[in-house]
Amino acid sequence: MSIGESQLGGVGVRMAQQRYSWIFGLAALALVLGIAAPHLIASLLWMSLLTQAVVDMMLATSVGILVRQNGRISFGQAAFFGLGAYTFGVIAAREIASPELALLAGLVLPTVVAFLLGLVIARIPGVAHAMLTLAVGQALYEVAFKWRALANGDDGMSVRMPDTIFGIDSDVFQSPATMLVICWSLLVLMLLALSLMARSPFGQLTEVIRENDERARFIGYGTTLPRAIIYGVSAFIAATAGILQTLYDGYISPQMLHWSASGMAMIMAIVGGPRILWGPALGAFVLFFFKDIAGDATEYWPALVGGTLIAVTLFLPEGFAGLIIRLTSRAVRRIKGERP
Amino acid sequence: MTTALEGRNLSRAFGGFRALDDVDIAVESGEIRGLIGPNGAGKSTLIDVLSGRAENWSGQIRLNGEDITRLKVQDRRHRGLARSFQRTNIFPAIAIGTQLTVASRALGETGLSDVVEALTLGHLLDRRADEVSYGDQRRLDLALALVGRPQVLLLDEPAAGLTVEESLKLAEILRDLVRRWGLTVLIVEHDMEVIFSICDRITVLHLGKILAEGDPGEIRRHPSVVSAYLGSQA
Repeated sequence: MSIGESQLGGVGVRMAQQRYSWIFGLAALALVLGIAAPHLIASLLWMSLLTQAVVDMMLATSVGILVRQNGRISFGQAAFFGLGAYTFGVIAAREIASPELALLAGLVLPTVVAFLLGLVIARIPGVAHAMLTLAVGQALYEVAFKWRALANGDDGMSVRMPDTIFGIDSDVFQSPATMLVICWSLLVLMLLALSLMARSPFGQLTEVIRENDERARFIGYGTTLPRAIIYGVSAFIAATAGILQTLYDGYISPQMLHWSASGMAMIMAIVGGPRILWGPALGAFVLFFFKDIAGDATEYWPALVGGTLIAVTLFLPEGFAGLIIRLTSRAVRRIKGERP
Repeated sequence: MTTALEGRNLSRAFGGFRALDDVDIAVESGEIRGLIGPNGAGKSTLIDVLSGRAENWSGQIRLNGEDITRLKVQDRRHRGLARSFQRTNIFPAIAIGTQLTVASRALGETGLSDVVEALTLGHLLDRRADEVSYGDQRRLDLALALVGRPQVLLLDEPAAGLTVEESLKLAEILRDLVRRWGLTVLIVEHDMEVIFSICDRITVLHLGKILAEGDPGEIRRHPSVVSAYLGSQA
């Protein structure tokens, strides 16, 4: 009997096939919920807050995918968030090109920059990697902060929206009701795409490389290029979030690239559980509203966020998503009558 | 017979210590060559140099006549040079089936069923590597080296940490696979029972230099080898 790829991964493949229908089903349900949200939520303030939260969820997801597929920590992810926002904002505001081209440039430039950066820093692990991403992020922040001719330096710049983008009225992007649906739908589609990627041969390869870079080379793979592609994917997601934020706020500022934004995205990813695809998005959602509530309760709210991070790191190493999965598995086993 | 793997003037130093000192080695095609010597003799360093893992070494390496001195690890692997590791070197949080699948995508599925069967991994394919026993992990480490049916296999203490029974079983599996596939093997092993039972020839390293080379009988009787390494095991 010959053992082929499908038989080798037999059990895994069967489980994956069963999960595909679940994944598409969940994504469809999430999309429907998102479309229904403006009809279910009466308050414009809540819709606006949720829109901001979804943008944060996207940024945290971009950090999470770097951890999940590459095993790398980034303290410079806001650089790609801001680079996307600035590229789109500056080109659109100065009418250098059409808004559609500005939007595409805002997606492509950060993706390419991250990919090229990934080719250089992909093999550098640990603290050195984190410091390099911090340095790159802060370098871009300094450019945005000091280069007044670009976008008014530290004052930031209003981005006057064109009448339409891709034939869609610009007002659509600045109304909480419609923007919530757009942001949420994009987030769901991104998570779906990432989920499919993670189950693909490429996703399996990047996980193998994450686990043991050296051994991956000894089974015949170059490891730099797959890692660099993940950097590009991660930056694409961050840039999308940055552009959405710019479309919604009509404003760009250097704070979008600041290391504190990268740090907060990392905290969100850790709290949610970066090894689980949807964990960082969950962490961002939880922390966004936790910050809001804590901010109302005390001016020392950052201490509460820090305390939460410490507690999760110590007691929930797989984050809230890990906790949910554990509790759900336990409940399912109990329902089936199996021993927990 | 043709030479499958050849190293010439191989040297590597750590500071002032010469771990390998101008070593020449030639392993014939289809041969099982043992590499023995006391700790610090340079055995693992030689395997690291030949496989491409080591940095800052000098010399020349040929695989089936082709100069592979400057080739990267993965390029050497694609040309048929594989290795296992002294310390288990696998992908801990990945299912064993997935690891072998990913490896076979790069190297081909030739002989994969033989490997899975011979190394009795079939029932573990859906288990994560960090959830199985040490013995299972050692067999997985070896299986990853055997994926794609390499021409030359470098084994760095494949029986390290195994019980006597497991070691002998592994030796039997190796001997069987090697004969069936016509593999060329260079094996480092401290277990002399394994070495003397499977090797056609043995090279003895001592302080980074070759002390002796010959068939198992010659090595057992070699006075310098007996005094420097074998002692009562001869």
